[in-house]
Amino acid sequence: MAEIDLEIITPEKIIYKDSVDSITIPGTKGMFQVLKDHAPLMSTIEIGVITLKNNNTNTYFTTAGGTIEVLNNNVLILADSVEVTEDIDIDRAERAKTRAEENLKRKKEEEEINVVRAELALKRAINRISAKEKYI
Amino acid sequence: MATLQDIKRRIVGVKNTQKITRAMKMIAAAKLRKAQTNVLNARPYTDKIASIVSRLPDEDDLSSNPFFTQRDVKNVAIVVVTADRGLCGSFNQNIIKETERYINEELKAEDINYQLFCAGKKGVDYFRKRDYEIIGTDSGLFSSLEYNSALNIYNTIVPKFLDGAIDKVVLIYNSFVSIINQKLETKQLLPITTESGSEERYQDDINYIYEPNREYIFKYIIPKHLKAQLWRTLLESNAAELSARMTAMDNATTNADELIKSLNLTYNKERQAAITKEILEIVSGANALKAS
Repeated sequence: MAEIDLEIITPEKIIYKDSVDSITIPGTKGMFQVLKDHAPLMSTIEIGVITLKNNNTNTYFTTAGGTIEVLNNNVLILADSVEVTEDIDIDRAERAKTRAEENLKRKKEEEEINVVRAELALKRAINRISAKEKYI
Repeated sequence: MATLQDIKRRIVGVKNTQKITRAMKMIAAAKLRKAQTNVLNARPYTDKIASIVSRLPDEDDLSSNPFFTQRDVKNVAIVVVTADRGLCGSFNQNIIKETERYINEELKAEDINYQLFCAGKKGVDYFRKRDYEIIGTDSGLFSSLEYNSALNIYNTIVPKFLDGAIDKVVLIYNSFVSIINQKLETKQLLPITTESGSEERYQDDINYIYEPNREYIFKYIIPKHLKAQLWRTLLESNAAELSARMTAMDNATTNADELIKSLNLTYNKERQAAITKEILEIVSGANALKAS
């Protein structure tokens, strides 16, 4: 049934290249699903979980943001980082979480940009941890 | 005339040099494997993001979005990527030559100002010594190549481009083709060039749905694209440098082999000549004794 050709590419490597039945994306305007014959679409992706459905099995990827282009049943996801939930290093994520929280406490009075960065790091860490707990 | 000992000394010297070149070749080969994987893995992302960015703008964007607008070119920034070290054949020379050719033929002729951003120690040293106008340098970045180096170039150049202090940004670097081949590339980074067959593109213009909206996507994807291209440029140059060094050192090792061979031949000839001479002396001495 697989009808959509999907490519997930990060700056480090091609993560996924195969056809799938549907893709659920954490878009900037909210979660949405791409099925066959979806209208041409370009959207940014937020930190969250991408779900692929193929022959009734689901695969989950965590992502730290990126873009998606949908055109003629070809879907291209360019993301900053993508991991299969199985591969998430929970210890590393926990460490990143603690570090981000500490940075947030400490840097509140410092530059704005550091706060934003720490918040994003925290968000990514929480995303990884929750994905791991939820899907495995 | 060289004595036997002199020749022997040279042979030892050449052999030592050969040891070094062989070791350097092996180091370059080992590093190259990693650099090659890095660049091959980065290519799909940078290619795809470049193709999206070049398809994205419509007529309006080409005249209103500063990243795409073609301005009158008065100031050009050239990002020159060389290596940090030598001993890699004509790798650095090619880049420097091409940069000077570009400046003399395409910029000076049109009275265009230019500034250089030099990445890689060799280029920094060369252009600094000759008093070129330099807006930024990064030397020693290739010993452990990090994404921050690409960010550094981005942060130096892009704000200036948006201010209008620079109208065009050109990259000059070596790209990695194969283990034995590099290619000199001159590429325009800014303003972003759209696909050449753009007319065609507008005809079957696709009505994309943009989420949340076009501006947001532009704002997100263009910096990503530029950083990715700069990063790719550094990775390409790094892999190309290592492959150039590997070839150069391989040649040096082979040449040393030949030199040693010919030196050995001379050495043996000399040695035989000396022995013959000695025997002759003894024989003629003995004959002289017999005669008397």
